[in-house]
Amino acid sequence: MPTDQLSRTFAALADPTRRAMLARLADGEATVNELAEPFPISLQAVSKHLKVLEEAGLVSRSRTAQQRPARLRPGPLADAADWLTFYRKFFEGSLDRLDEHLRNLQKGNASD
Amino acid sequence: MIELTITRVFDAPRALVWQAWTDPEQLARWWGPRGVSTPLDKIQMDLRPGGAANLTMVDDATGAEYPNTGHYLEVVPPERLVWHDDGFADGSGAGTVTVTFADRGDKTELTVHAVADFSETVRAQAEIGWASSFDKLAELLARRPR
Repeated sequence: MPTDQLSRTFAALADPTRRAMLARLADGEATVNELAEPFPISLQAVSKHLKVLEEAGLVSRSRTAQQRPARLRPGPLADAADWLTFYRKFFEGSLDRLDEHLRNLQKGNASD
Repeated sequence: MIELTITRVFDAPRALVWQAWTDPEQLARWWGPRGVSTPLDKIQMDLRPGGAANLTMVDDATGAEYPNTGHYLEVVPPERLVWHDDGFADGSGAGTVTVTFADRGDKTELTVHAVADFSETVRAQAEIGWASSFDKLAELLARRPR
């Protein structure tokens, strides 16, 4: 069971229906009915997906309006993307330099 | 689990690649992406489980320093190096990094596997969130007509 926020973010994003729901919410808030429209699945199933997204902190739902429209919370998504981008760039960049370093080292050895 | 795997084949024997990762003098020559330097006098490597893995990276353009601390979890020459990275001062970027050195004859296949630890990031952000809520509350109270 994933415990930290980012694990929940990624687990929530693993499902294509939930990703499609997020894409829809990126255009603005929507009710369960509106979210269900493009999918051949029950309202109940949509509610379930919405709950996973809500628990992952990716969407929030109005507590006052009767239809409880959902809206996107971009924070956790940005955190996940930031971490992956940062680590990938860091190591790719370092390994490029390591490759160069190893080449120089062996050239040096060969000419000794 | 949030993780990242990068695999590269280096045209150098495994012993040489291992040395490049574990000899501070060599690490100083390549650690960090282009535009960043890691001065030798700011590298502290105590290569044993529990030993310190500390270094400071310097931004070449601005001179800004980025201290980074951590500790080794596994040191198995010349096959495996595992450390915990505490991330940056705000707790972001923390995680466990496993580097595997596979012998491919004259070449070495290197795998970097990083697993993020976000508990600190999330905690820090929660605190910032609370702090800014308190600021807003204080502002509201200050503005309230007496």
